[in-house]
Amino acid sequence: MTPKTIGRTLLFLVLMAIMIFMVFGISGQIIKYGIMVFAALSSGEGFAGSENAASIMSKADNLIASLSVIITALVSFFIVKKYICSIERVRWDFLRRMFLYEVLMAGVILVLFPFFWMLCTAFKPSGQELVLAEGNPFDIIPNSPTLDNFRRVLKIDSESKAMGVIDPVENKKNFGTYFLNSLLVSTTAAFLVTLFSSMAAYVFSKKPLPYKKNIFVFLLATMMIPGMMFMVPQFFMICKMGMFGTKWAMFLPHLASVFGVFMLKQFMDTIPDSLLEAAQIDGASEWQVFRVVIIPLSIPIILTLFLLTFLSNWSNFLWQLIVTDFENPLSITLPVGLALFRGQYVSELGLIMSASCFSIVPVAVLFLFAQRYFIEGMTQGAVKE
Amino acid sequence: MKEKHWLIIALIGYLALVYVSWDSSVKVSPDGRLFLTFWHTYNDQEEQVLRSIIKKWEALPENAKYTVRPVRIPFEGHKEKIRTALTVGQGPDMARVDWSFVCELARKNAAIDLGLLGFDKIADQYLKAPLKSCYVDGKYHGLPDQSNCVAFFYNRTLFKEAGLIDKNAAPDPQEYLKVLPKTWEDLKKIGPKLTNKEKGQYAFAMTNTLWWNLPFFNTFGARIISEDGKKCELGSEEAIKAVEMMAELHKEGIEAGAWRAGAITPEQGFVNNKYAMIFMGPWNLARFSGLGAQLDFGVGLIPAGPNGSSTNVGGTDVVIFKDRDEPEKLTERIKFSYSFLTFFTNAQNQVEWCQKLNQIPINMGAYDLVKFEDKNLGIFMEQMKLAGANPVVKDFGLMEDMVNPEIEAILSGQKQASEALKIAAEKIQTRLLD
Repeated sequence: MTPKTIGRTLLFLVLMAIMIFMVFGISGQIIKYGIMVFAALSSGEGFAGSENAASIMSKADNLIASLSVIITALVSFFIVKKYICSIERVRWDFLRRMFLYEVLMAGVILVLFPFFWMLCTAFKPSGQELVLAEGNPFDIIPNSPTLDNFRRVLKIDSESKAMGVIDPVENKKNFGTYFLNSLLVSTTAAFLVTLFSSMAAYVFSKKPLPYKKNIFVFLLATMMIPGMMFMVPQFFMICKMGMFGTKWAMFLPHLASVFGVFMLKQFMDTIPDSLLEAAQIDGASEWQVFRVVIIPLSIPIILTLFLLTFLSNWSNFLWQLIVTDFENPLSITLPVGLALFRGQYVSELGLIMSASCFSIVPVAVLFLFAQRYFIEGMTQGAVKE
Repeated sequence: MKEKHWLIIALIGYLALVYVSWDSSVKVSPDGRLFLTFWHTYNDQEEQVLRSIIKKWEALPENAKYTVRPVRIPFEGHKEKIRTALTVGQGPDMARVDWSFVCELARKNAAIDLGLLGFDKIADQYLKAPLKSCYVDGKYHGLPDQSNCVAFFYNRTLFKEAGLIDKNAAPDPQEYLKVLPKTWEDLKKIGPKLTNKEKGQYAFAMTNTLWWNLPFFNTFGARIISEDGKKCELGSEEAIKAVEMMAELHKEGIEAGAWRAGAITPEQGFVNNKYAMIFMGPWNLARFSGLGAQLDFGVGLIPAGPNGSSTNVGGTDVVIFKDRDEPEKLTERIKFSYSFLTFFTNAQNQVEWCQKLNQIPINMGAYDLVKFEDKNLGIFMEQMKLAGANPVVKDFGLMEDMVNPEIEAILSGQKQASEALKIAAEKIQTRLLD
């Protein structure tokens, strides 16, 4: 055995030890989480339900450990086999990749930990949100899980049902209503902002317009004024227009997005004029040039703007708070609804986290479907040819 | 073709969303009474009790014409919501607001002077310290509806581990009260026994914001603002001594440094058996009790300084707004709003409110009538009587912004107390009082 081979083998063993540690930890947590969800689902409401779930959890300790060991052993066997079967000259390359994967796994753990914390806290009984496991503060999966937070958020707990019988409006003040309201407001705002911004950007980028540059600079200058400055005048206008408490009020003042126009214009500037001229020679009208040439070519940046606008409306708390008519609870949107769980001194962390579990879904789904375009759109301007 | 399918599906989905969510108005008020709108920030349980009290008020023959519509708004952002709503005349008849907001509403001429409605005659029914947060420029512009303060929470497990209490002793609260520090000097004496830095355990942990620091100032008899509200007295001898004592606690290693950014907060350290004593309010009693065997705790009075034991005042006040149509008149709506609020906070209703919700009464008449299962609430009631009035300024948040960094500089040893407090006092004087 040469010193080089010994060094390589030692390195493999070190990387293997790290891998075993990580796989054992991750698989243990995933299995425990699965059992925790099962325990919570199969137990009832309130303290008794939580105690019942705790007994299921305590019985599952050996099962979690055994399954984790099996998974770790399988993964270890697979890696060792792969290493041994690989030919001598690619083994350094194998180790390099193994190291890279371990670093990536550590990165993934770091990035996903807040989400995992949210998913765990949502299942914790009220008051236990800040309690850490003795001995291992990173073991954040609750030992006495409950679905009470979800029940209360969705107003399907016994107390809410009783309240709902007395006052049916109370029943509608639930997360589902807030969620749908936010979805409608954010989707409509994102669609309209994208539509108006793309038409404006097309004009600024490709059409002749007197004082075009000056107007554009003037528009850009308005971005320097903090949005808070507009809030009261906009609110005043909304009230004068009789839109207070309507869904129009939630997004109408924000449809003119200078940032959107700027972003799309910068992109459209990179589209060659010859393409437009070719379309015009073929007899395309102005609208057809815009629809058939400009829009398809600008899809990545348009989707990026759609996503950014959707996100900003999805999480816009202050404006939506101001224009919400709380006398009509059905007009409440998600950020405002979530704020109802925070009191003067106490925040109901369990409720906030369980509501957040649902509220991240549309954003995650949108990003999942549009991530290719989103990354493309964000990096388009990075390279100047 | 495939793209077209997706577009059609998205369009149908969107139209369905519009159908479900658009313009769903709620029909309320069935019986033809006139509405008095009451914006509040109570939670679900509190709102239920509020509604039951409203029903009782409605049932009185003299109130046959009106009803109160409780409208829940989030506490977070309630100031912005009320400010903007009042600007365009969309405000409610009455609102429950943070105690620190009353001064701003009064100075902006939005909140009614309750003295015009005869409140001066019944003002002495209410607890003095919370009532002072409504007293602006010599007039009562609101009345307290819910009040609390902080007291001294102690972790019995850590007291046992430190040998201050026999491990096998029965859980007799009196035994703990005997060893609990009576003065700040006592805390310094027993502090080292409760501190084990290797385990990350500390005798005491505190938050550094002006509101949370008021118990220190009050136990030393230091005022933040003079009685007439015109001079900042933060640079006084008493205030300097109070902050120096806080800095000593930290310097001697008794205090955990929980006020630092990123440190374990007092609440989290306490529930995880890391901090033996903290300031905490009654809002966490139920939560802490719900932890069962995980947390064995008790509540005592805050250690005394030269001025005895004392605390701060928290909670909320209710204000009545001027009538949007006739701002100069005491209209019928205002009179009925006042009638409701005094009914809501009278002794009988306070007993119902406090017993159902485990809260400290705001009406002195309810003090002797209310009976709690949780004995710790009795300690809070006692502590509340010793509370010092909070500083009443037009922007308490701004005041916090000016004071907190200076006190942090003192605690971390970057500045002398006299120098830092003088700077803070000058800023407050210039920006809030002159």
